[in-house]
Amino acid sequence: MIGGILNSSLTRIVPIAMILLALQKTLLEEMRPFGVIVQIVLAFAASAGAAGGPERGALTGFTVGLMYDLAVGTPLGSSGITMGLAGYVAGWVDLVRIETTWWMAAAFVALGAAVGEAGVPVVRRFIGEEDAFVPEMAKIVPVVAVSAAIASIALVPIGRWSLKLARPEWKMPND
Amino acid sequence: MAIYSAGRRRTMIILLLSSILLITLDLRGNAVFNAARSGFGYALRPFEIAGDVITRPAERAWRGMTEYDDLLAKNEQLQRQVDAQRSAEIAAENALAENRDLRAQLNLESLADYDKVTASIIGLSPSNFDQQVEIDSGSLAGIRVGMPVVNDAGLVGKITRVAPQTSIVMLVTHPSYHVPVKVVAEVLPTPSTTVPASVPSGLAVEDVTTTSSTSSTTSSTTSTTVPGSGSASGSAANTPSNTTSTTSSSTSTTTTTVVIEVTRETGALNGFGAERLPRVRFIADSPLFGVVVEGDAVLTAGGSESLAPPNIPIGRVANVMRRLGIEGLELEVELSADLDHLAFLTVILYQPSTELVTG
Repeated sequence: MIGGILNSSLTRIVPIAMILLALQKTLLEEMRPFGVIVQIVLAFAASAGAAGGPERGALTGFTVGLMYDLAVGTPLGSSGITMGLAGYVAGWVDLVRIETTWWMAAAFVALGAAVGEAGVPVVRRFIGEEDAFVPEMAKIVPVVAVSAAIASIALVPIGRWSLKLARPEWKMPND
Repeated sequence: MAIYSAGRRRTMIILLLSSILLITLDLRGNAVFNAARSGFGYALRPFEIAGDVITRPAERAWRGMTEYDDLLAKNEQLQRQVDAQRSAEIAAENALAENRDLRAQLNLESLADYDKVTASIIGLSPSNFDQQVEIDSGSLAGIRVGMPVVNDAGLVGKITRVAPQTSIVMLVTHPSYHVPVKVVAEVLPTPSTTVPASVPSGLAVEDVTTTSSTSSTTSSTTSTTVPGSGSASGSAANTPSNTTSTTSSSTSTTTTTVVIEVTRETGALNGFGAERLPRVRFIADSPLFGVVVEGDAVLTAGGSESLAPPNIPIGRVANVMRRLGIEGLELEVELSADLDHLAFLTVILYQPSTELVTG
């Protein structure tokens, strides 16, 4: 069992998620473009989805979501749902195109991050939090999505490495 | 490849059910989860410290770019406030001393009666939906879930999670934050000649500050009748022969009573997110209970089940919203504490009497 865990992608995902969580709790709390906190952990979950497909994305998102809940103090599993959803949605890029280009991956990471962030108040409402929907949603979701798309340029290769996936062969078309 | 396949659906259902199970267990309170959270906090701490050190230059550069103008404006504003408050400080100190003495004489509950723990903030919320901060004191310092947190300006929030050396503070603006409050207003002194049995706010007379001044006027009349002296009415025949001295005294008292009416309404304060002001609900819109106006002070109401002791300042009424029917008033409250610039917080080690473990 231990060998199985050591061979799994968890040995890479967990340390990467720890570093991103530390970034999330330090630098990104302060740097708030348009007053919105950039969600780097959510962007990583979506990037893993864009790199590895919906199932791997969902599993990675669920794992890093649990770590996020442990670190932040939100109900355990609530971020697991939203980040799993983000990874799952971003993974659709594998289904619509055989060879993913960087900008396609960025677009799907943005979509996944937007769905994940928009899902936060929905989950909060289900667990009994009143007034979970804030009027700033119209500002928060686009900023989080765009920032995730920008971060995906670095996070998609990291996600691919975390999931121990081979680098796709990018071929220039021959004239 | 299809978006929905049996295997993929199964994976998603398992993840969803796992999440729901975890949320349910966590919300019901689970010692294992609390221990895991505490352990994970310890494991993450070195990463956070390293991240803080590495990213500090970038953080400062960002703040320098985005907050420089605000800082200058704030500095000017604070300087003006300092100048204005210097003169008020002396009077306030005197009033505080008087207040302390009077409270001690009347045996009234005061914030000074409770132990406090001062802590500094070590982290803000990384989420766009939570209004919370992390402080560097925990259960080892006596902090428990539910305890109120204040700063010099007033109420800041309450403790929602406690680890041995750290705690999470839910801010007043968080949508899940609720606390019983009272609205207090002082009305200009009104002259009257009688002291009412009760005031419009429903307070007992003893609760009303009364200033009374009494002036007395005494007039004495002395008449002396001497026998044999001429009297037009001839009534001297009936007058005893001895000399009688009669003294009549009348006293008229004029009382001027100055009553400072205090409207004291209770309601519940709810957070409404970072961008909106907290609101007080369940305020009766009836002239019988006095009139709440903008600028009235809002303080914690206390009570046997409230998690905060009475009389912690929260802020002032910013807007009064009248609602239809029996819903009563809704008040928007401008907080005294500036939640955007918190540095040090004080946890009041207060637990309501209903939660105190006896024995």
